[in-house]
Amino acid sequence: MTEILDISLPVIVFVLFSLLTIPVVKTIRKRKIGKTALKLGWFSTVFIIAVISVANLTLKYYAQPSPQPFLNVTLTAEPLAMFSTTFLVDAVSIYMAIIFTMVGAAVFMYSLFYIDSSEELSERYYSIMLIIIGCVIGTVFAGDLLTLFIFWEATAAGSSFLMLYWKTSKSLHATLKYLVMIIIASAFIIYGLSIVYAITGTLNFWAVKNALMALEDKHLLEIAFIFIAAGYSIEAAVVPFHMWLPDAYTAAPASSSAFLSALVDQGSYYVLLRVLIYILTPSTVLPWTLMLAVLSALTMVVGNLLALTEKSVKRLIANVCIADVGYNLVAITSVTSLGIMGNLYFFLIGGITTALSFMTVGILNNMGFETLNDFSGVGRKMPLTSLALLFAAFSFAGVPPFAGFIAKYLVFTSAIEANLSWLAVIGVLTSVIQAAYLLRLINYMYAKKPQDEAKIKEPKKLLAVIFILVTAIIVLGIYPTIVLNLIDPVIQQLPFIP
Amino acid sequence: MQNTLLLTLLLPTLTVPFVYLLGRKSSKIASFLVALICIINIALLSTTVPSILNGADHKYVESYYWIPVLHSSFTLFVDGISFSMAIITLILILTAALFSINYMQERKGLAEYYALLTLLSIGLVGVFITSNLMLFYFCWELMLVPTYFIIGGWGYKEPYRAAFKFFIFTHAGAVFVLLGIGAIFMVTGDLDMFQAQAALMTANPTLVEWILLSFTAGFAVKMATVPVHMWLPDAHSEAPAPMSALLSGVIISAGAYAILRVSLGTVFPALIATEFGRQFLHGLAIFGILSAFFGSLIALVETDIKRIIAYSSIAHMGYVLFGLSLFPFQEAITGTVLHLINHAVSKGLLFLSAGAVMKQLEIRDIREMGGLAGQMPITATSSTTAALSIAGIPPFACFISEFLIFVGAFQTINNDNFYLIPTALMLIATVLSLAYALRFVGHVFLGSAKREKVTEVPFFMKLAMIILTAFVIILGVWPSFFVQLIMSVTFI
Repeated sequence: MTEILDISLPVIVFVLFSLLTIPVVKTIRKRKIGKTALKLGWFSTVFIIAVISVANLTLKYYAQPSPQPFLNVTLTAEPLAMFSTTFLVDAVSIYMAIIFTMVGAAVFMYSLFYIDSSEELSERYYSIMLIIIGCVIGTVFAGDLLTLFIFWEATAAGSSFLMLYWKTSKSLHATLKYLVMIIIASAFIIYGLSIVYAITGTLNFWAVKNALMALEDKHLLEIAFIFIAAGYSIEAAVVPFHMWLPDAYTAAPASSSAFLSALVDQGSYYVLLRVLIYILTPSTVLPWTLMLAVLSALTMVVGNLLALTEKSVKRLIANVCIADVGYNLVAITSVTSLGIMGNLYFFLIGGITTALSFMTVGILNNMGFETLNDFSGVGRKMPLTSLALLFAAFSFAGVPPFAGFIAKYLVFTSAIEANLSWLAVIGVLTSVIQAAYLLRLINYMYAKKPQDEAKIKEPKKLLAVIFILVTAIIVLGIYPTIVLNLIDPVIQQLPFIP
Repeated sequence: MQNTLLLTLLLPTLTVPFVYLLGRKSSKIASFLVALICIINIALLSTTVPSILNGADHKYVESYYWIPVLHSSFTLFVDGISFSMAIITLILILTAALFSINYMQERKGLAEYYALLTLLSIGLVGVFITSNLMLFYFCWELMLVPTYFIIGGWGYKEPYRAAFKFFIFTHAGAVFVLLGIGAIFMVTGDLDMFQAQAALMTANPTLVEWILLSFTAGFAVKMATVPVHMWLPDAHSEAPAPMSALLSGVIISAGAYAILRVSLGTVFPALIATEFGRQFLHGLAIFGILSAFFGSLIALVETDIKRIIAYSSIAHMGYVLFGLSLFPFQEAITGTVLHLINHAVSKGLLFLSAGAVMKQLEIRDIREMGGLAGQMPITATSSTTAALSIAGIPPFACFISEFLIFVGAFQTINNDNFYLIPTALMLIATVLSLAYALRFVGHVFLGSAKREKVTEVPFFMKLAMIILTAFVIILGVWPSFFVQLIMSVTFI
């Protein structure tokens, strides 16, 4: 019983507090003074409790060197056990829960201080953000394909509210596009899952994997794979299913773009990783490597080329997110322990870097700078904000000593290790394109003359949050061992991967 | 001391904020601080000389815990070659900082400038004193970012354009280096250059060939070998003079050093007996000749004072590449490394003098100059020294190193008569370099004065040039200190 509590506590904390947030924040808003301080106090409490619950899990299980998952909990007794909700805790899920809580807290702080040009953010907004964090953490603790699906779709549904927040025609369009894509995706996934259930008679990760390994006739499985992979690829914005992402991310307020890119986006990669590597493992279950390799090459090329032609800076960053999907896929397709390590490191760094850039671009957008041309000379007008964006850009481009470099290094090395050198070559070449357009952005910021000389006052509180993340990318770039040691237990749990 | 090399990296790192803060008060103090760090670092590095000359394997190594998952430790080492390169780098940064006091005094944002220069010095020195490929790549790219901002922020004409070109070209080169590093990690499971060398001996030769090509292509971009030289003339001529001196003196030499240390020193030994290895060296020689002729010929017709020197750098990297193609002949390699050092000092001096001329005249076209010898005697003396050294005239520095390269070349002809024609061509190229050097001196300093009232440059610019002039002459007449150090390194 304590085991169930251990697992579900982080999820319960977020969901419960998300419900409590509405009345609490409503009360706070009625007060005249100290609103921000009170809100900060309330949300700090939420996150401290959440951190305690995750820390509890970590301390109890994480350090155990065990080739099996630490916990595998079924909620229903026989005879429906095969079809029941299960939770599973292994090293990956704990690691993901840790980074979701950490990065979530940082983005949350930002949205607390982020005063929109028109109004302050409503209590529903915070509540939805909390519930999404809860759902993402639920996703990583899911132990069977159905639970994974339910939590993940809940995340997607919640995200659509964040995109819809401004209720302009642009954001309505973007949300509609997103919802249609997500609904198609979930239909695909459900169809694929039903086939999997038909073949194996179970949905539990380990049971499914064992049943599939013993499977003789794999024709049905191939169909199921196509549907499942396509479905989750749509949600992760793999090219050619990427069209919704730039619209969705640009339609949302900056704090939600940061939130979506740092948590939901990374969550979608996690789902791909879990389903493809842990369940449909290549060579033992189904050889899908080449197909995904082609998709990842396509994603890197298209994402970077789209960003190269982009004029609006926020859309440019959104297109970088697409390119990042490609880099993550490179590591997933390599199916090596180095690749998984690269993936997990990339989840954290990609999340931090995209969040960082959306945050800074959000501040600049609020000051009325939207396109590359508007960005002329902001380096002199708003030096600190621009500096943060500069660091984020270099981290994206994979220039050491920023953390993005180590992430890319791991990814490309894993591709070479898996005999996919051509993919690594495409990867580094697109990474040069990436450096080119990010440098063009920097050129605009520092080389061009500003339209007027007036200095703009920079929001100090937001910058405090931003510079926490900047410190993180520099420290993790110079000394990645902190996180790589944290990932190590995951690698110990991959007996089926070379 | 135990942590000498760590200190040489930590010291500038920790001083960056101080340089910036002091620079906001007075840029002169910031510049002195940079110079002081260089002097301390030279002193620190010099303490390792005894262990290089007398140590068991002629090396001084320090190793620290860093990224065990990637089998990377924070390994710093110096042997004769890396020591010499690091010392010359520090001397050039020192003179660049002193030169900047007067040269940059009217410019804005000097606090940032000196802070970036300090950052750059970490990367520049770091490249030479590490044997871990990951750390090497960190420093390699750390050369890039400050250089980009220095060229962009304080350059001429359209500086960010030149800086952009520089960044993209060399970053594109660097990603190929990164591929090579990834492949080495995969094959050997180690990122230490010396460990990897042993492990590569037993690896699949086809893969090793690809690694070698990938590394060499990447480094060749930094070295500005024809046909990937396009970034160099713009970057060198648009950059402020102290930065041009560093670019031409150290940064492109770092490319040559990397080819010697990584391509030839680490990867090549596995292929040395193969036909591919032989052809690879021949390829280096051919690209070397192409660069030498291309650079010299354009330098002969160019009229922009800094572009002449920039193209001459391409030509000299051609000599260096030719010298590298004679690997592993001891005389040739010694000559090549010595040439890197001598060229760094001479070319640095030449760029500083060109900067001095541009500063006083505010024109760049050499046809509009003339007769400056009487008006700017110290600048004229130092540029003439530098130009003659570049042309390979004794007793100035570059003569002795070019001579050693040719000695190596003649020895190699005995074993491999492919080198007969390249050596002859290289000899012709040196004549061309004399031609453009004399043309440069003649146009700028000799003849009748075209302008009245040109005065000599201020004190610190003179000081910087005098220091480097002294080095050009000392290295020319007494090269044995560095020769002894370089000879102590054995590759195979």
